[in-house]
Amino acid sequence: MKRQLTIAAEPIDEAGLLSKRKVSENMGAAVYFLGVVRGQEDNKTIRAIEYESFHQMAEHQFNLLFDQLEKRWPIESVRLVHRIGRVLVNEPSLWVEVVAPHRGEAFAACQWLIDEMKRVVPIWKRPVP
Amino acid sequence: MEIAVHFYSYFKELTGCTRTTVTLAPDCSIADLMKQLIGLFPKLAAMQNSTLIAVGVDYQTRSYRLQEGDEVSLFPPVQGG
Repeated sequence: MKRQLTIAAEPIDEAGLLSKRKVSENMGAAVYFLGVVRGQEDNKTIRAIEYESFHQMAEHQFNLLFDQLEKRWPIESVRLVHRIGRVLVNEPSLWVEVVAPHRGEAFAACQWLIDEMKRVVPIWKRPVP
Repeated sequence: MEIAVHFYSYFKELTGCTRTTVTLAPDCSIADLMKQLIGLFPKLAAMQNSTLIAVGVDYQTRSYRLQEGDEVSLFPPVQGG
């Protein structure tokens, strides 16, 4: 399984990511998810979210999740970008793409990866009023 | 032995620092370390049940036996995405 992980402060370049998508002939599904900063957090209006990571551990934990992903589903590739630092409302903070033979496993793997990320990857957010 | 401890997220506010060093007897566990840290930083006590603990880049439980040179990190539940 090909894997690409980016944890960085730069804005997520969706167009650039999509232009670099590679799907081999045996693959039938490419699912991607975009997480966007909402204008409200805990019923309060916010301007942005400040993301902090424990970078080295976050990379390690993401790679452990990718290892599990590879064992559970026949995924050809996974690409994940998580932005850190200040992300304004309406801007994307997370981009995840999974390429698999069928849509069922691509959707399931993408959902599982995001759920597990929120459980174990050391990234925190702080709303900016 | 000396153990370096790092704090992340709002644990930095609770402790007033990003890092500290704790001296422990040999063969102490993370539970022993936590007792000492709560003595130094009482505001950590309220977070005991939800505190996540890593040694290096891997999660560990409170029974983990610390070794000289271990780098411990304490932080609240993660919230990526």
